[in-house]
Amino acid sequence: MKNRLKLLRVERGWTQEQLGQALGVSRQAVNALETEKHDPSLDLAYRIAVLFARPVEEIFENPHG
Amino acid sequence: MLKSAPSATEAGKRYVIRTMAFMSGYVAINVAAIFGAFDDIASPVAAWGLALTVSAPVIGQIWATLALMRESDEFVRAVIAKQFILSAGLAMAIASVWGFGESYADAPHIPAWMIYPLFWACFGLVSPFVRNSR
Repeated sequence: MKNRLKLLRVERGWTQEQLGQALGVSRQAVNALETEKHDPSLDLAYRIAVLFARPVEEIFENPHG
Repeated sequence: MLKSAPSATEAGKRYVIRTMAFMSGYVAINVAAIFGAFDDIASPVAAWGLALTVSAPVIGQIWATLALMRESDEFVRAVIAKQFILSAGLAMAIASVWGFGESYADAPHIPAWMIYPLFWACFGLVSPFVRNSR
């Protein structure tokens, strides 16, 4: 799923490890999200949205519309 | 910070320790059998007891893998599940082909317990190619 996760992370000067710690997931999971190898669960997508204080749709491109 | 991260490294360490524990038991009993430690077993009950004992670490290993999945995040969990399904499918396919080969083509007999090392050989083979959760 296309997303702006890497852009948002880099804007804040965070490493994948740091973002993973903030979200409660592994660095591998962050990398998989950024490289579109993993579609996040609804729970994880909302955790990311809360962390960056943005709606989910601003971070993840809606593939259905 | 929203929540503390489950440490993939810590979960991985626990998995390695559990695997080593179960596999050392599996290997020890088999090595003892190879060197004749159980040659004097005459009772069928004792013989089946030995078969169950040597197989118990296999169940333990499955538990260790499920524990690793439980302690990992959703991405790692999905990747492990894919690796497991592919490996189990491949091992079952190979075992089925060989089994029917024994039935219909006079292939030499291979003991059924070989399915376990075969599964892990398949796991090692497919794992490097499973890199996404879809």
